[in-house]
Amino acid sequence: MIFTPQGGLKKNRIDWALFLAAMFLLALGTMAIFSSVAVLPGQARIIRVQLIAIPLALIAFGAAWSLNYQVYQDQWKFVYGVLLVILAGVLLFGVVDKGARSWYRLPYFSIQPSEFARVGLILVLANFLDKRIGKIKELPTVLGAFALCVPVFLLLIKQPDFSAILITFPITLIMLFAAGASVFHLSIIVGYAFISALFPILWSVITLNPELLDNALVGYFFHLSDSWLSASIFIAAVVLGCWLLWRLSVRLYANVSGVYFAGAALVLMLGFFSGMLVKNQMKDYQQKRLEVFLSPETDPRGAGYNLLQARIAIGSGGILGRGIFSGTQSRLGFVPERHTDFILAVVGEELGFWGMLLVTGLYVLLMRRIMEGARLARDRFGYLVNCGVFGMFLVYFCINFGMLLGLAPVAGVPLPLVSYGGSNLVATLMALGIAESVYARRYALV
Amino acid sequence: MIDRQIPQERLELLWVLAYAAAAVFILRLVNLQVLGGAHYREIAERNRTQIISQAAPRGRIFSSDEVALVTSKPSFSLIYFPGQAKTAPEIDRMARALARPLGADYEDLRRNIYKAASREKPVRLAENLPPKIMLALSELKAIYPGVDVIVEARRYYPFGAYLSHLSGYIGKMDAKDWASRSRDKNYSMDSRLGKAGLEQMYEKELRGKDGGIYLEVDSRGKLNRVLESRKWVPGADIFLTIDSKAQAAAEEGLEKSISGKGAVVALDPRSGAIIAFASMPDYDPNMFVMSGSEKEGLPAGKTLPEFNVALQGSYPPGSIFKIITSAAILESGRVGTDEKFRCPGYYDAGSRIFKCWEKRGHGSVAFIDGLAKSCDVYFYNASQRAGALAIEKYSRAFRLGQLSGIPLSGEKTGNVFGPSARAAKKSYWFIGDTLNLAIGQGETLMTPMQAAGMIAAVANGGVFHRPYYVDRIVKSDGQLFYQGKPETLSRVQLKDSTWALIKEGLRSVVQEGTGQAGKITGAEIYGKTGTAQNPQGKDHAWFVAYATVNDEPSRIAVAVLVEHGEHGASAAVPIAKAVIEAALRSELPSKNKPAAAIALPLVPKLPQPATVPVRGVL
Repeated sequence: MIFTPQGGLKKNRIDWALFLAAMFLLALGTMAIFSSVAVLPGQARIIRVQLIAIPLALIAFGAAWSLNYQVYQDQWKFVYGVLLVILAGVLLFGVVDKGARSWYRLPYFSIQPSEFARVGLILVLANFLDKRIGKIKELPTVLGAFALCVPVFLLLIKQPDFSAILITFPITLIMLFAAGASVFHLSIIVGYAFISALFPILWSVITLNPELLDNALVGYFFHLSDSWLSASIFIAAVVLGCWLLWRLSVRLYANVSGVYFAGAALVLMLGFFSGMLVKNQMKDYQQKRLEVFLSPETDPRGAGYNLLQARIAIGSGGILGRGIFSGTQSRLGFVPERHTDFILAVVGEELGFWGMLLVTGLYVLLMRRIMEGARLARDRFGYLVNCGVFGMFLVYFCINFGMLLGLAPVAGVPLPLVSYGGSNLVATLMALGIAESVYARRYALV
Repeated sequence: MIDRQIPQERLELLWVLAYAAAAVFILRLVNLQVLGGAHYREIAERNRTQIISQAAPRGRIFSSDEVALVTSKPSFSLIYFPGQAKTAPEIDRMARALARPLGADYEDLRRNIYKAASREKPVRLAENLPPKIMLALSELKAIYPGVDVIVEARRYYPFGAYLSHLSGYIGKMDAKDWASRSRDKNYSMDSRLGKAGLEQMYEKELRGKDGGIYLEVDSRGKLNRVLESRKWVPGADIFLTIDSKAQAAAEEGLEKSISGKGAVVALDPRSGAIIAFASMPDYDPNMFVMSGSEKEGLPAGKTLPEFNVALQGSYPPGSIFKIITSAAILESGRVGTDEKFRCPGYYDAGSRIFKCWEKRGHGSVAFIDGLAKSCDVYFYNASQRAGALAIEKYSRAFRLGQLSGIPLSGEKTGNVFGPSARAAKKSYWFIGDTLNLAIGQGETLMTPMQAAGMIAAVANGGVFHRPYYVDRIVKSDGQLFYQGKPETLSRVQLKDSTWALIKEGLRSVVQEGTGQAGKITGAEIYGKTGTAQNPQGKDHAWFVAYATVNDEPSRIAVAVLVEHGEHGASAAVPIAKAVIEAALRSELPSKNKPAAAIALPLVPKLPQPATVPVRGVL
């Protein structure tokens, strides 16, 4: 905001801090990508894609920035339709890579529609929450928001692209939270998600420790997912248990609403079924990743080995790093996926602690500026859109850093702006452009 | 702030979440990079470098006439570098393909390769490859990446069993060796080291510094570039005082003797330098460095004849002990040099009859004759005059019951027999003991090494040197590292007339007595035969002798023992003669060139440091 000599007020049309932080991260990432792919066989293709993606991403940023974001609210049905169509289309016309049908093949590069779908979903959710803000404290609103997500999730499971769900689900939660949804309702959702994830994890744990099967109860539990019949019996038992507990509480004159018992039974039931669904849909490599996260030493040459090598790469960077283009761990191929998910290992090895501090700092600055956009937004829709974009960066940041530092499972989640990935880069800068658009059209006097 | 019907503080809460996450990550980074940086840097370095060590050739061992007795020769080894071929079916296929040409067990081979692949360390699959399978292997090399043939220096003993008791042998490390050397960078688990003899004693000098190629490899073990190539430094060469021809004569002689068992020790009386050192039975040290297929011809399960007869074999000296008895008799002054004793072929000791070895008797004999003909009866009589205590005293002076001091392990002291030794055992001394003592029977025990020391002392006038066999050690850069020096241990003090008489007696042993087979034209031989009674079997044959040429100080003294050789004169004397002839060959007339010396094979050249082919396959 600038006071002009004429005495009027002139507001910045662009948030330079945000833009420059993003550009700086992009430059750092591009350097790290070039360093890490120096000895890869597909080096030429990767560099070409990166060099094509950067201008495309800048164009997307510029377009999103100049376009009034309110048009997305106006045309939300169109946005929603397009995102469903591209997700459905990829199942029909996409090509399979690494076990997932999630790419459109184009002459010079491929497009991953789920990256764009995520941005679209943020817009659609923002619109939905904006319209329902009066009833935000009611459960149907929360469920409605998730109902919007369900088709997207189903299409993603069909690919399957669990990483995309892993990113999108928390974004939805963050947006609901920012919109003021009841924490109790959110906990029900989280509880449901937790149980959905818990059952597959428990089954994996049992697979890893077969001696647990000696216990008859554990054995029974392990074979629950094998047939729908035993699963139904289990569910019936759970429901009956909840009902009995409710009757007991009535007898004891405890002042607890029956809704809670019904809710608990429902959550358990739904969680169990979706857990079963997830388990039966999981690809072998995903199952393996889960197992490695639960017990890294089971597979020293597999995913655990990759994580270890990445850690060695970061650690060996020390304080000052080994110098740009001089990291042995990443350049000699000890770090896997070093240009995508493990790009931070390259940064950590070649630029050291200061480089990592720089990336972290730029990310925090970026998120801070997006939040600033949300705070100053002209309307609630803008606020919610920026919250969504903020949530997206926060989730990526937490999962990617956490994975690399051994605090989260190896999920195959890139770090936007730094990692290699054309679609991700374009979609990310598009989202930043939308956030800039919200900032540019803020109220001047706040 | 406009009213959007939404609580702004929720945004702040989310912001705290982002902040907290960043703080946790930074803490973790401090832990990883700032505190753990050096540790991880080390792991990263280990990750990217692979060392192909090249064992340095051990130092060679030469005789005094510069014949290489122990050397190294190039040998081909098959090694496996864990590379791309790491999946189980690939390894199985490779092991199966390699098992046939190598003649190795498929399971063993497969296990070795697996181990190497999981540890990412190169492994030797086979050593000493015979040339005929090289062709087959070079074909497989092209098919299976990671398999390669390298040249290494392998220990080689050109003369086989020759001098094996001195040279010793090398072998693989056992747990005890590894415990003491695991910190030594110059040794690895599969290093070979000296296990006996010179190889063990001079392990530090003989072992060179291993070389190595430090390679930078990528994650699949593919070679990226060579970081550093360190050349090996060969070990120091040892030059022995052993004369190869004299040694050959000794070995040959023992081998051809009746039993094929015994020992020959030849010393230079001026210094104590060992000229020949043979002990039978012996072994071929080459078999310790042979690979599986080469070993097939060898007798399996046979225990190694490591027993060193020359140092560890204690035998009754028999008549050669009469040299010491003579010293006692002559020094005592109780027996005149011309005083004669009659020998009817036996001696009546009152309670018992003691026989002379010559049943017919020697007639009247004085000292010279008595020694020359080895007349037992003369010594029975004379020793009683001199007294058993005097003989015991001189046997101690001639270092019986003491180590010769040769720097080899396991040496025995022999046994001193005499009244005071008997008294120490709290037992009685009888007259028969004196008689037995006089002719070297009874409890007196002597090793061939001690016998050689004794005759050398006679040759040089009573000086006992510490026997040594290392003349010098020369480092690979030509620098003299060690020079062997004579060391005097003790001296026998006898009157000059006593020395002269003993020498005269020993000369007549060869000229007209029991050792006439030892005569050599051009040299004067002084010797004494001996036949040691052996209750377990045939008698042992002894001969001790020294030679002078043109009245110069003697340059060789030799002791020969042939186990179960029956008569010193027939079994031991020719061997000593051959050894002396070989040792003095440059000074004797040419027609006396020893015929017994075995033809020495050409000395193999030391292999050049191998160049490991690093292209592609690594």
